[in-house]
Amino acid sequence: MSKILKKYQMDRADLLYLIAMTLIGIAIRGILRVVTTVDWEMYWDPWISDLKEMGFSYLATDRYDYAPSFVYILWVISKLPVNPMTAYKGLHIVLDFAGAAAMGGIVMEATGSRCKSFCTYGLMLIVPTVWANSALWAQCDIIFMLFIMLCFYELFREKPGRAMFFYGLAFAFKLQSLFIFPFLVILWVNKKIRLQHFLWIPGLYFLSIIPAWIAGRPLMELINIYMAQGAQDVWSLSIKWPNIYQIIGNEYFLLEYAEAGTWLILGILMCIMFAMAQKRYRITKEFIVQMALFFAILTPYFLPHMHERYGCLADILAVIYAMMNVKRFYIPLLHILLSFNSYMAYLSHLGWNEPSIYYGVWALMELGLLVVVGLDLWQYMMDPENRISRTEGEAA
Amino acid sequence: MDAYLRDLLVKKWNIGKFSFSFLDALLAVCITGTGVMLRLSVIGYTATDWDKISAMILEFLLAVWGGMIVYFYTGARLRAFLTYAVLVIYPSIIANSALWNRGSVFYAWFFLLSLYLLVKGAGVRAGLSAAAGAVIALSRMRVSTQNLTLGWPNLYEIVGKSMFVDLYNRVSLLVLAGLLLTGIYLYIKKKVKLTGTLALQLFVFLSILIPYLAPSMPAWAGYTADIGLLLYAMYRPGKFYLPMLHLIVSYSAYANVINGTSKLPMSLYAVILLAVLTDVGRDAYREAMGQS
Repeated sequence: MSKILKKYQMDRADLLYLIAMTLIGIAIRGILRVVTTVDWEMYWDPWISDLKEMGFSYLATDRYDYAPSFVYILWVISKLPVNPMTAYKGLHIVLDFAGAAAMGGIVMEATGSRCKSFCTYGLMLIVPTVWANSALWAQCDIIFMLFIMLCFYELFREKPGRAMFFYGLAFAFKLQSLFIFPFLVILWVNKKIRLQHFLWIPGLYFLSIIPAWIAGRPLMELINIYMAQGAQDVWSLSIKWPNIYQIIGNEYFLLEYAEAGTWLILGILMCIMFAMAQKRYRITKEFIVQMALFFAILTPYFLPHMHERYGCLADILAVIYAMMNVKRFYIPLLHILLSFNSYMAYLSHLGWNEPSIYYGVWALMELGLLVVVGLDLWQYMMDPENRISRTEGEAA
Repeated sequence: MDAYLRDLLVKKWNIGKFSFSFLDALLAVCITGTGVMLRLSVIGYTATDWDKISAMILEFLLAVWGGMIVYFYTGARLRAFLTYAVLVIYPSIIANSALWNRGSVFYAWFFLLSLYLLVKGAGVRAGLSAAAGAVIALSRMRVSTQNLTLGWPNLYEIVGKSMFVDLYNRVSLLVLAGLLLTGIYLYIKKKVKLTGTLALQLFVFLSILIPYLAPSMPAWAGYTADIGLLLYAMYRPGKFYLPMLHLIVSYSAYANVINGTSKLPMSLYAVILLAVLTDVGRDAYREAMGQS
């Protein structure tokens, strides 16, 4: 035992803490695994039943509007001799633990503190939006979040090729991975990523759709599957996510604002990227997380039709940010509260009713968090010590 | 005569090591009388039994105890006297016993004792005292299967209190255990020295945190935090707003359950509590990291 502890530079307190938090994480998920949600009943369960009945040929149909990569997982589940919901939730629960370990690794790379790294692992397992997503709601966001985490881990280890490979995997599972895409462009401008690394994104996506294409679904349909997904759930400008539409009104100008909102956020992102690309900056790990967190809050704040769960990426980035900058402890605290409130609004079947604290109030709070992170980013960029000349940047 | 009376006000008497002025004695007598009258004025709302009477008596002793703790922390007689005086007329304390007959003083007494023993370095006895308090507190609560809160404006007032009650009753305790475990782990790893200040801050922090996340918390779940925050503000007067805010939340929770209605939404009180919790938590963190 002591040899193992020595090998991993741990002591008994570390080991006991990790074991106890793992057990707590398992117990929480064990309690929640029995819940059957509407999403399970309306989507995953019928899809798995169809996959059982039709086999791989189901992939030729247009009955699914998720990325084929996810449907392959459902296909595997349909082949298993266990209860589909148990298998489905079990897989995502395992990924929760992998995600917690990845978060620990990121914080270790970012801070060099084992204590903080272990605490991050432990806290990730009890973050409500993490356990509620997989074990309670039977959602699958942990898959793309895990790949995003691995992307950060590799970025911190200065392995941009691998980082972009994982980012490409994240994109092959969920469109929401694009929320933070602009920060990769800024890293490219600052010569931390090469242009060919970006090829992982379309490349992996294309590879991921080939089996479904072979099964018989038209290629254009598969390429446009995210577009088709975006055309669903357009009955409100914000689907319980506290963003700008919860302030200005989410029930009017549905068509007009849906289009305008998309163009608006594209415009905003272009302006920000333009401003950030004007100079070269010292790329620190904190700057990377700051940028990613900023975009993870900003993009869903203006994009229309955002769902309750779309803050999950910002939730975990906020945890990393707070671990690197303890003074910002309140960002994950408030963001996870805000995010979990949206989860509960859906899970409580509130429908059109407002939660006890109105969405508009939460939206103002989200704006406040956006401003705080934005100001941190601004101050970093304005600090002359963090600026480098183009020639220095090229030398670096 | 005027001069005599003026001198009398500040004249010191000594009983053993304890010295006090006439003004101190006058305040003690008058405020004690006020405390008695306050209790008598609302005593008729619920049946008066030995439980209620002993709780009311114990509250006066609790006030003395609170004064002693403040004296121990500050060495300031005036603050100690004021602590006694404020605790004797503290609205949520009076409502708890005389009005509603909840008897929270029985467990709060042990919690305060554990704080005192902890600061004195008697860790084992402090632990036993805290355990005794916890047992009494738990014996006075019941598990709700209808709602996640029984009147205390905590997290569930924000995120919803009527869904997944059976599941969250267990999950929330596990999350709480995880948070406490993380705190203990950090305490050990960072080799934090338990100063008197930190002990008080942790006492207050836990007395707010636990009812904030635990399920089935009744309206009087803030009783210990009411007292703890008052002691903290007496120790750090700059934090005067914390007991004020907590008392408003606490008394509003009583009013909401007793009257069946509240003038302001309970979720607002839950947000206030979160702000108070964050404020105290930040103080404790700074103290632990030697930044204060």
